[in-house]
Amino acid sequence: MNALTEIWIAVQAWLFETFVSPVLFHFGLMGWFDEAFDAVEFFMLGVLQILVIAFLMRPVEALWPLEATSDNRSVAVDRVYTILNKLGAIPLVVFAAAYPITNWIELQLREWRLSPPRIENLLPWTHDHAFVSFLIYFAIYDLAAYGIHRAQHRFSWWWALHSLHHSQRRVTAWTDDRNHILDNLLVTLVLAVFSQIVGVQPADYVSILVVGRLIESWSHANVDIAFGRPLRWLLVSPRFHRLHHAMAGPAEAHIHDHNFAAVLPVWDVLFGTALYDRQLRPTGVPAPEIDADNGRGWFSQQVAGIRRLSTALFPFLATSR
Amino acid sequence: MARILIILLALSAAAAPAWADSVIVLNSEDASYSIIDRASRTELQRLPLGREAHHLTRTPDGKELLLASTATNELVSLDTRTLKRVRVVRDIVDPYQLGYSPDGKWFVTAANRLDHVDIYRADNLVLAARLFVDSVPSHLAFDVRSTTVFVSLQNSGRLIAVDLARQTVKWSTDVGKAPAGVVALPDGKRLLVALTGEQSIVTVDAESGAVTGRLETGKAAHNFRALGDGRHYFLSNRIESTISLIDTQDMKVEASVRVPGGPDDMDITPDGKELWVTQRFLRRVAIVDIAKMNLIDTVRVGKSPHGLAILDTAPGAGVPNAEKAGAASAPRLN
Repeated sequence: MNALTEIWIAVQAWLFETFVSPVLFHFGLMGWFDEAFDAVEFFMLGVLQILVIAFLMRPVEALWPLEATSDNRSVAVDRVYTILNKLGAIPLVVFAAAYPITNWIELQLREWRLSPPRIENLLPWTHDHAFVSFLIYFAIYDLAAYGIHRAQHRFSWWWALHSLHHSQRRVTAWTDDRNHILDNLLVTLVLAVFSQIVGVQPADYVSILVVGRLIESWSHANVDIAFGRPLRWLLVSPRFHRLHHAMAGPAEAHIHDHNFAAVLPVWDVLFGTALYDRQLRPTGVPAPEIDADNGRGWFSQQVAGIRRLSTALFPFLATSR
Repeated sequence: MARILIILLALSAAAAPAWADSVIVLNSEDASYSIIDRASRTELQRLPLGREAHHLTRTPDGKELLLASTATNELVSLDTRTLKRVRVVRDIVDPYQLGYSPDGKWFVTAANRLDHVDIYRADNLVLAARLFVDSVPSHLAFDVRSTTVFVSLQNSGRLIAVDLARQTVKWSTDVGKAPAGVVALPDGKRLLVALTGEQSIVTVDAESGAVTGRLETGKAAHNFRALGDGRHYFLSNRIESTISLIDTQDMKVEASVRVPGGPDDMDITPDGKELWVTQRFLRRVAIVDIAKMNLIDTVRVGKSPHGLAILDTAPGAGVPNAEKAGAASAPRLN
């Protein structure tokens, strides 16, 4: 493990010193020196996640598929989303857009001397048990993700954006990153506020990000895997999350309003949104305009998302078209 | 019986804390600090510490080491002999850089994110004045008479001189791109400012603020550490990944050593033989043999190690090493 860590650190330093820091120096961007170094690690983690999806998750999907699918264009679009997200292109845009706001929030709270208590201060024994404090923070952030996800379904304007994620009829391990860029921005802003309350930024625990994101990718995998008790309360399985992507029908108009959890299904159990069954349902959204995403490319989907948001915010736009 | 005695002695030796020759390193992105045993060059402990802790300084009596946690607005104080937490000073807003004036009357912090310089009365740490500056105050240094604190402003490329008694800005001068480390030389007349956005340092007249000279060093010149003879200073060059030894009398680079991984803060062992340097990108601390100017070892620590302090619990501990070595007033800058 130590050897792997050494290699990881050496690669990060080499990438930064060879490709990034000369650019920052040349363009007078040394104020972003430390942030850029962290961005290199984000990029490396993204590469790692893509490799895990491509060479571990996808072969498993091919061996034990839940639904017979071919690697059609729709799945390819999800792959574009994943690459743009994991390698940092979309996060960079979101960071640039969100930074003035998140920075203002953070600095304002600091100026007001509002300093949230850390878990290690509330529970001093966790000082010497880093893994325990990691698990606590992981659970806290997973609860926040659950709450955000409920909001994405609850508010019609947010659903207008989030429905892009649900419109996929061919849900695979690539689907996790299929999100509207404004949806990403909103989630980032909410988490920025939340992190000020918790006292720990997600980036403080890179492992929170990576472990969480890999599990989320896996939960979208097209494989017939479900867990029995008690594991089914502790870890999202592909079958558990697939039900969340189920296409609503006349008999189950709100089937997709179940199983919101990102990693820990216990939140669904506690808040009454868990649904465990083995029935296989098609995935997607029945609304024709949203379902049309399946024939669109990345850019068209983004445009369609903005159109849906406009209509949700200003209903008269729908009638005027 | 003898065997039992040996075992007991060994056990007691093992139980005794090895704090006497310790090095404290702040891991700025790990929310932790490391305690390193200097003799064996191994990390003994890694303990939690606030959030975004970057720099540290000793109290004037040398009994406490203040670890500054910027995002939690607090100073965590360690007893320099036992390394136990003595107290936590709260409401020190965004204490990025910090230091006491040589006469021990003033305690000054540079709030890097919040763009202000705070001047506290050192005896009770009550805020005397807050000066908002433009912008990103980075490093600070005091003059030998404790009348002025000089603060580099990274974003605007300026250096300001603040009158400590009046708590007003005496002068502000344009020094170059992304100024960082600053030292007031023992002659009381010259300042050195490292330019992280360039590959040089500049000399500044302490009285007028006029830039009087420039010396090429290495890409992203960043931070200083006095050798202790009142004449030579080490300088870290973060992109060049070197440490330059500057002769401030002849204003030349006398020697240079490669220290990979974005070298940053430095400190010198009490015997003056080793320079310890944080390697921000490698999660290590490098050890340089000063006489030979070569890298002799590294020690694993936490993520993005920044400030460090070599503890010396021998009589007279607490006095900065450079002063003990004879410099009139070599400011301790981390």
